[in-house]
Amino acid sequence: MPTLQHVCQVIYDSHIGTAIRESDYAFSIIESVHVLAITLLVGTIAVLDLRMLGLILRGISVTRISKTVFPFTWTGFAIMFVSGCLLFWAEAAKNYSNPAFRVKLVLLALVGLNPLIFHTTIYRRVHEWEVLQYSPWRARAAALASLLLWSGVIVAGRAIAYF
Amino acid sequence: MKLRSFAAFAGALAITSAAYAHHSFSAEFDGTKPVRLVGKITQVQWTNPHSYFYVDVVDAKGAVTNWGCEGAGPGALSRRGWKKGDLKIGDTIVVDGYRAKDGSHLVDARRVTLPDGRSVYGGTPGDGGPGDDGTIQGAPQNSGPKK
Repeated sequence: MPTLQHVCQVIYDSHIGTAIRESDYAFSIIESVHVLAITLLVGTIAVLDLRMLGLILRGISVTRISKTVFPFTWTGFAIMFVSGCLLFWAEAAKNYSNPAFRVKLVLLALVGLNPLIFHTTIYRRVHEWEVLQYSPWRARAAALASLLLWSGVIVAGRAIAYF
Repeated sequence: MKLRSFAAFAGALAITSAAYAHHSFSAEFDGTKPVRLVGKITQVQWTNPHSYFYVDVVDAKGAVTNWGCEGAGPGALSRRGWKKGDLKIGDTIVVDGYRAKDGSHLVDARRVTLPDGRSVYGGTPGDGGPGDDGTIQGAPQNSGPKK
């Protein structure tokens, strides 16, 4: 058995993992919290992305919007991450071989890389373009990538139940 | 305005699609292929979002086939008075269900009859499968809709 699979099995067999998996209500409550956190995270990110694409709130500067949504985005991320870990705890051994889960992990890695590149490149000169109705193409590309990748994460996450 | 309604729609879609923690009946099973299994329990998985148990079924020629039976999650089964310990390894049970679309040895267990004669509804509530609305066989005997 590959090491990673073995680790997943140990996590799966753990007391807490089993308790969540066999619970009457905890599992479905954690799932709901996970979904709500995703809407908070992706919803607020989408506002910034759509603004950079020049589709909404064109009269408001990009930095003002990014500062406004920032605490909501990170609150959503924290709750999403913790609840996601709890769900993985309960299903690790099944997730390991689940193709949708694997796709989701790859997409999550890419969706994390995207803002990393964005913030170390074009966003450094944001004061030059923050009030433009349409952001420079690099920012628009990052915005589009963000919208597509997050959509992919949600679809892949949903698909885990079907494999 | 168009974009706002699109965003609202996308948001609503994200919520509804992910709110169903489990898949529907028709995603995996065929309502036109009922099957009755009589066999010995070999494994029980009392798990979210679906429970599974496995039975060894012996056919007329004596060949043994291990069938997987899928049921609702622990929460829904508990509400019907079904407890984790009700299924014991080695017990012979009767499972009335529907076969998987892919032809594998997997059934959606709509009704399970335990060795003590107790008959429990195993289906997932609201999954759209046969008996889901409490009208036909396999429905819960005490919690169907009032007519």
